[in-house]
Amino acid sequence: MKQSNSINGTEFRDMFAAATTWLEKSASDIDALNVFPVPDGDTGTNMLLTMRSTVEEGFKVTDTSVSAIAQAMANGALMGARGNSGVILSQIWSGLAQGLCDKETFNGKDLANALEQASETAYKGLSNPVEGTILTVMKDVSKASQKQAAKNGAGGDVLSVMEAAVNAASESVANTPTLLPVLKDAGVVDAGGQGLFTLLDGALRFMRGEAELMRFRKPQLVESNVPMTPITVTAPEKVGADEIPFGYCTEFLLKGKELEPEKLKRRLVKRGQSLIVVGDDTTVRVHVHTIDPGAIIHFATTLGTVHSVSIRNMDEQHQDFLEMQKSRTPVADIEIVAVAAGDGLSDVFTSLGVAAVIPGGQTMNPSTKDLLQAVNSLRSDKVIILPNNKNIVLTAEKVQSLTEKHVHVVPSRTIPEGIAALLSFDYEADFDANTRIMTEALSSVKTVEITRAVRATQFNGFAIKKKQAIGLLDGTIVAVADEPLDVLRTTLTKAGLKKAEVVTLYYGEDTDEKEAQQAKDEIASKYHNLQVEVVRGGQPHYNFIGSVE
Amino acid sequence: MTVKIVTDSTSDITSRLAQELGVTVVPLTVFFGHESFQDRVNISTDEFYRRLSQESIYPTTTQPAPGLFAEAYQNLLKGNNEILVLSLSGRLSGTFRSAVNAVGMVEGKGRIEVIDTSLTAMSLGLTVISAAKMAAQPGMTLRQLTENVKAKLPHTSTLVAFDTLKYLAKGGRIGKAQGLLGSLLAVKPVLTLKDGEVAPMTRLRSMSAASDYLYNHIANMPKVEALAVEHATTPHEADILVARLGKIFPKENIYRSVLSPVLGTYMGPNILAVSFIESK
Repeated sequence: MKQSNSINGTEFRDMFAAATTWLEKSASDIDALNVFPVPDGDTGTNMLLTMRSTVEEGFKVTDTSVSAIAQAMANGALMGARGNSGVILSQIWSGLAQGLCDKETFNGKDLANALEQASETAYKGLSNPVEGTILTVMKDVSKASQKQAAKNGAGGDVLSVMEAAVNAASESVANTPTLLPVLKDAGVVDAGGQGLFTLLDGALRFMRGEAELMRFRKPQLVESNVPMTPITVTAPEKVGADEIPFGYCTEFLLKGKELEPEKLKRRLVKRGQSLIVVGDDTTVRVHVHTIDPGAIIHFATTLGTVHSVSIRNMDEQHQDFLEMQKSRTPVADIEIVAVAAGDGLSDVFTSLGVAAVIPGGQTMNPSTKDLLQAVNSLRSDKVIILPNNKNIVLTAEKVQSLTEKHVHVVPSRTIPEGIAALLSFDYEADFDANTRIMTEALSSVKTVEITRAVRATQFNGFAIKKKQAIGLLDGTIVAVADEPLDVLRTTLTKAGLKKAEVVTLYYGEDTDEKEAQQAKDEIASKYHNLQVEVVRGGQPHYNFIGSVE
Repeated sequence: MTVKIVTDSTSDITSRLAQELGVTVVPLTVFFGHESFQDRVNISTDEFYRRLSQESIYPTTTQPAPGLFAEAYQNLLKGNNEILVLSLSGRLSGTFRSAVNAVGMVEGKGRIEVIDTSLTAMSLGLTVISAAKMAAQPGMTLRQLTENVKAKLPHTSTLVAFDTLKYLAKGGRIGKAQGLLGSLLAVKPVLTLKDGEVAPMTRLRSMSAASDYLYNHIANMPKVEALAVEHATTPHEADILVARLGKIFPKENIYRSVLSPVLGTYMGPNILAVSFIESK
């Protein structure tokens, strides 16, 4: 595709299929840009998974008009949106589809208009838009493309508009630390903005005819305008061949000895697409799209023990990948759905009466579709969602518009908030009253999270080395130490234990029960009036999640 | 001719108050192994809860034999009285059926009414007290009294903060609170009575939070006509709740009681209960 005034739907889709493959190459680098050195809310992976869903839907449409294909892609983005960045990306797609509606093909002017619509829709979708994020980048892209389109006049050349868009995106990303102080402190550019730039860059390269070249190159991360300490970037992932949109999305956890993830990755790369293998010698998480999931799982069982297997037929309408317990008693005809990563945590929620628990998934962020399926699978038509993660609240809020059922989101940002809300459920109150009661309960608990930093950074006056244990209190880093128990101790002292009544410690999959008991004994001996409970959470990444109330 | 009130021992009114009001209390029976006791008659609440915590066998209960009711009716009919019998919920105990059967055993046609109040503990107790006071009004007939009592029943209930549900579950009285079993977190459930059986209200993490909840529930009622607070083994916690409630309701009118051994069999120790009649 060289100089072109008119691009149709199929070409549009191919542009973004290539862009998605391009994004995949730097997804983990983008993950490492998270302001918080905590191992979840992976923007890169979330945007990638959202784009995969977007492009897959685009391939299912036979109509070649850009209107039909963009609409399908927007639907795919909406359903596959994961994490906050995924949701905003889906808003961008919604705007693009609106801007391109009723068109068979598009030219430069059309593209500029669509990008403007995309920017507006993205801003509108948020109650609290923040500058210095993907939104600013989108806005700058929109302005630059409008300017270029006006310059082109009646010509309508698409390529030049796209180039202007990508240049503007690059500058905008570089500027994000100036707009958002936390980025400056952490020494990174905004991850969502970087992801958007990479996507547009990939689409542009495809338009230029560089598809072959792209296979051997790697996307560059935009450097910040603001001088900062260099970050180490992890090694790039090898990408498989072209996507096949059908098959089974297969995920599982492999535990054993001397698993050698790199070697495993090489062996599996031919067996499917979109392969992701992460972990270490004892625990490896695998995610792959394949038409023969059985073979892959069987192979895995020869290497170690296989856990938490999830196989989803990717183009089935009625996917039923959730395990649900039959409710013991109809709960006043309101049913509750909770998101929880960790089999112990999942058991806790189920034991407290939620109708369905959605696993967080590999990035710990389920897609809109994952949540929607859970809601639709329940008997009741009045459902409350507990996202239990600040990166899932937006995704949850999208679900109401996708179902006939009545859905309220109680915006729990952490597991302890979710549990406090769940316990406050009043069996005599109606749907609206309970939503209010549960939302009020969110502030009755303080959350403590202990994890290991995924990279070195400076935060809040702390100098943090990679892999050090960090303690967060209600989402802010308050303590750093080499060992989780030490950091837990310090973090708890800042949580106001003198006035507290109950402390509950959920220990994660990386933590021994003995360690948890030790923590409990220490706290209980120091604070005699405090009720301390230790529960196995089994959550990934977080050594301890604690509630103080 | 006056109307006399008969009730069962789960109404938790003290024997002194019963005497003052002229109320006859028919006891249920508690068994510890082969030993049987008449509820609140030859086993005190203190002794019951002491044995409950010390012994490894769980107590059981039975309703009063119809003969006990019949005896009570006989005595009262002699004085040319009419009788209103207020029994605990028929879905929790066979006591109601016993009381009804006993009517056929005496010559009291047209002079005995038996009501299944769907209540127990001090919600039944407050109903009895209220009925006794109304019965004392000159010219009160059995029919009128029955109507008056029935009119208040929908506005009467008990909220109970539990330490554990195991006694309820073991005793088969858990009713609609079944879904609260099996919690992996230590919680204090608050239950109530609905349609004569146990139903869930909510859950708290500690007994003091539960006490707050009970207080707030009463504080949010526009107008309360009668109020009672009970405990099983924690009088101090109950006193704290009474002191708080005393700020929004005349403290001298708050009835204080202890959950009877029969109720203790199904609830266990460490209970806080508040009962009320709302004015409508």
